[in-house]
Amino acid sequence: MFLLALFLFPSPAFPVLYVDINSPGGKRMPIAVADFVVGPGDPSLSRGIPTILSADLALTDLFDLVPPTAQIETVTAAHFSGKPLSFPGWKMIGAEAVVIGNVSVNGDRLSIEMRLYDATQGTLMVGKRYTGPPAQLRSFVHRFANEIVYTFTGVRGVFGTEIAFTARPAKSRGKEIYIVGMDGRDLRKVTNNRSFNLFPRWSPDGQWLAYTSFRTGAPIVYLRNVSTGAEKEVVRFGGSKAPGGFSPDGVWLYAGVSRAGNSDIYRVRVVGGAVEKVVDGWGLEVSPSPSPGGRRIAFVSDRGGSPQIYVKTIGVAGETRISTGAGYATSPSWSPAGDRIAYTVRSGGRFVIETVAPDGSAPREVASAADADCEDPSFAPDGRSLVYTYRKKGYSALKIISSDGRRQRTLVSGLGDAGSPAWSPGR
Amino acid sequence: MNRSFPWKRVALALFVSVLMAAGCAKKQTVKSEGAAGAPGAASAPAPAAVGGAPANEAPAAPVAAAPAEQPAPAPAVAPGVAVTEEQVSRFDDVRFDFDKSEVKEDGRKTCQVVADYLKKHPKAKMLIEGNCDERGTAEYNMALGERRATAVMNYLVSLGVPKAVLSTVSFGKEKPLDPGHNEEAWAKNRRAHFDLK
Repeated sequence: MFLLALFLFPSPAFPVLYVDINSPGGKRMPIAVADFVVGPGDPSLSRGIPTILSADLALTDLFDLVPPTAQIETVTAAHFSGKPLSFPGWKMIGAEAVVIGNVSVNGDRLSIEMRLYDATQGTLMVGKRYTGPPAQLRSFVHRFANEIVYTFTGVRGVFGTEIAFTARPAKSRGKEIYIVGMDGRDLRKVTNNRSFNLFPRWSPDGQWLAYTSFRTGAPIVYLRNVSTGAEKEVVRFGGSKAPGGFSPDGVWLYAGVSRAGNSDIYRVRVVGGAVEKVVDGWGLEVSPSPSPGGRRIAFVSDRGGSPQIYVKTIGVAGETRISTGAGYATSPSWSPAGDRIAYTVRSGGRFVIETVAPDGSAPREVASAADADCEDPSFAPDGRSLVYTYRKKGYSALKIISSDGRRQRTLVSGLGDAGSPAWSPGR
Repeated sequence: MNRSFPWKRVALALFVSVLMAAGCAKKQTVKSEGAAGAPGAASAPAPAAVGGAPANEAPAAPVAAAPAEQPAPAPAVAPGVAVTEEQVSRFDDVRFDFDKSEVKEDGRKTCQVVADYLKKHPKAKMLIEGNCDERGTAEYNMALGERRATAVMNYLVSLGVPKAVLSTVSFGKEKPLDPGHNEEAWAKNRRAHFDLK
């Protein structure tokens, strides 16, 4: 199996930014996705691929999709060999950017070329050709959607990323690990042992999940290759244990582990198994979340009488409390840019999600509900949104909310006790 | 009556499943030392990379469950499944306040009954299971359950029970006794459960 992404034209090293991602609710880019040209292959791809691409773009708050019915030009193969698009026409229907595509399927070889044009300037902004097995179709479209987002914002999109989480299957008392695409598709069960399988955490390369399983009767942290299913034990010592996250270089796995009833933060070398204690204390220390630079961790400690969020520089004495309220604060998640830490906090009898700067300044509520709990935040790799658990009596769902709290959608519902979501690294 | 956590059956089930998995385990299980492609093996490429594709381009192939994860066949219940079943205990649960692990007056009385029993039956072993209510984060509750179980263990030791016959496990909030979502249910679920072997 092979795959080829061909740069048709070099992308500028520093893209001109058309959309300011720091001003959500600001100007959106009106974009049209033309029907694709289909060489050999299923003619329904002509509309099918733009539908996938448009669905991706609609998940962001960056674009206004100019409806296909308003299109005024039939794109042909000639447009991929020198014939210019009639840009004034596209401008007339309100599109400032146009995507065209040319797809062909020859046996088990899929080839898609996609191009993004600036309709105002009449210039090619980015163009790519993807070649591989037909099963890769969605993945190719997601990747070009990420290119489009990058072209406009300077930050790659997160299409094609996935969320690992836990849920209780029907007729089971146990919990299994599941993975679902960030678009809510491709839900699949990762473990299937009817025991408790908890706390999934992605390795930085997105190839491995660390999680705690009770499948032998006692809790052990395993690393599982999500493609092959290969597993290895990584934390066996101590009583209760939960992985928190990997160092950015993938060398260390941070975990909260209980010894003699007292949970502390440890890190374990993924290869070799060497163990270091990172945070020691008489309280319960759990949920380590490494900073993207790898020098610090955020974690939970109840040393002050109730669980609160602290930040520590690895190997340096001293820990700073950053959660400000008196209530119960848990499950920190460091943003990919390193500028915010999201966590769960009890407020007015409900759990809500706040973010705060790593020095404890500028706290901000992101997700809350009058009659439900919002918990367990995990940032998307672009930092623009978070996935979290929404729980109301017996109902639980995973929701994705923009980091400014303005836009929200349900990712997973209908699975028992869904929770502990973890967003995969970028693809 | 129904004594919980049958270690002999557990051991049998483990042995059976190890036997069953042995053939594939060599292929499936990555050894702890120098696992090529494991995160941290900076110089080694990820094993999942297919052909010339970068690792993160590997198709999301359906994940096959590792053989070791298949539930062990009858007659034994797989130990991992067994831990999800609530076993009836001859002793009351020790209950706790929200986010607390102090053994209260009622709990001390129960512990005295347990201690008397264990001193009369020196061959008996006791697994103390710590549990929490559904509120709060799963990780924190997992550690809190361990602290509760340990508090009960330490109290039994203070009553003269040899530590060697006691062990602890936490199920955090994963194993509620009462599935309700109210204070009454939560109070029942913040508990240490005695599992006599």
